[in-house]
Amino acid sequence: MARYGMVIDLDICIGCNACTMACKSEHATPGGIYWGKVLEKEVGKFPAARRIFLPVLCNHCKNPICMEVCPTGATYQREDGIVLIDYDLCLGCRSCMEACPYGPRAFYGGDGAYYENGRTPFEEAKQHFPEGIVMKCNFCVDRVDQGLNPACVQTCPTECRIFGDLDDPQSEVSRMAAEKKARPLLPEKGLEPSVFYIGG
Amino acid sequence: MAARIDEFLIDVRPQREWGWLVISYLFLGGAGAGLFLVSLYLEHLWAGVLGLLVLLVGTVLLLLDLGRPERFWRAFFRPQTSWISRGCFFITLLFVLGVIELALQWPGLELPAWLSEGTLRTSLRVAAGGAAVLVMIYTGFVLAPSPAIPFWNSAFFPIIFFAYSLLAGIDILILTSPMLPGPSLDLMLLERNQNYLVILCLLLVLSHVSVMSSSAVAARESIRLLTRGRWASLFLGGVIGAGLIVPLLLALPVVWEAQVQTVFALTFILALLRLFGDYLFRFLVMRVGLYDPLL
Repeated sequence: MARYGMVIDLDICIGCNACTMACKSEHATPGGIYWGKVLEKEVGKFPAARRIFLPVLCNHCKNPICMEVCPTGATYQREDGIVLIDYDLCLGCRSCMEACPYGPRAFYGGDGAYYENGRTPFEEAKQHFPEGIVMKCNFCVDRVDQGLNPACVQTCPTECRIFGDLDDPQSEVSRMAAEKKARPLLPEKGLEPSVFYIGG
Repeated sequence: MAARIDEFLIDVRPQREWGWLVISYLFLGGAGAGLFLVSLYLEHLWAGVLGLLVLLVGTVLLLLDLGRPERFWRAFFRPQTSWISRGCFFITLLFVLGVIELALQWPGLELPAWLSEGTLRTSLRVAAGGAAVLVMIYTGFVLAPSPAIPFWNSAFFPIIFFAYSLLAGIDILILTSPMLPGPSLDLMLLERNQNYLVILCLLLVLSHVSVMSSSAVAARESIRLLTRGRWASLFLGGVIGAGLIVPLLLALPVVWEAQVQTVFALTFILALLRLFGDYLFRFLVMRVGLYDPLL
């Protein structure tokens, strides 16, 4: 069985946030809620000052602590490693948000409108999540099931994201991870994330 | 130039998902269960009733904190891994066994001997007491496994919550004793026991602070906030000072001098101070829960 994962090359990410917008467009996430985003930081001093970027999203961990603490079973893991939330089961207790060290989850209290004057026809058509639940990146599972890449991977103009099967040693994602010594965020937490970073 | 992964030492983030409703539950749930446990020891029906009522209020507040309170029953589905799920069973068990135990104590109720004093009754009391202990400590286990928030990631919390819950339960009993029907309570004895519990709480809290002082980045920042930062005055002045040390010092006359009027007035003030310190402690535990920097 596949174990889906992602490698992100920090050497070629330019911080354009195309991935952020592709994610919002794909899932019509409510205003203020980002399933994926690009963290920015300014480092160094003039004349050597520069901005650095770190794209972040749910790490779809092999040992997801969010699933362990969920009291209802709303958070579950598919056989291919993708961690999902069943909105019909979620209580909105936010224990998963407290347990996850990566902070990709958001509580949706209601009113998904991005703009002040209520939901747009696009939002009304795309937003199928109920109020009072927790949401997060789902690796664009509908696209993946159709054999497509997640929207952020598809959109990235620099191709800094590579998505694929980590269990297949011949896949591009596995080869990149092995060749460039990819490392996950906060490996000491023992959650075995499926999102890795190279470069930097 | 490319980003270096170790340059993203992003500042620690405070948790803001669990607020005053959860804090109030931690306080009332623990205190209610503690009071019920003490009522079993004292065989005081009305103290037990009050304990369950306090726990009920806390549980309602917890339900109100849920994004979808009407789905609360789904929280019983994952006891194999989730401490919240286990907690739901503990609370339910305490309510069920507690109500049966109190019903059997009801005045005027004539019970057969095997039900009023036999092995079955003893087993019921032990089971109800066990359920109360579980309700007092499980919230510590909800916090302790969190790999995200190092300040919570400690084996001390279940023990600290047990000690604080017992302390608060007895304090509620002291405060309400003039109004409670039933046999009169020995305030002197209760107050003397409170001093031991205060010393235990003090040792546990200081031990936790000491251990966390040399722990992960976010835990050290939590300790800095508590001892030198934004929350220092509330922690040192409120939790440690007003909530533990001042009651301990003021209690000396109560322990060593048996003047009934002094005892009554002073225990009332001491109980208020300790309850204030208990609530403040649970508030600060939530407020200084910080996530480790992302990288």
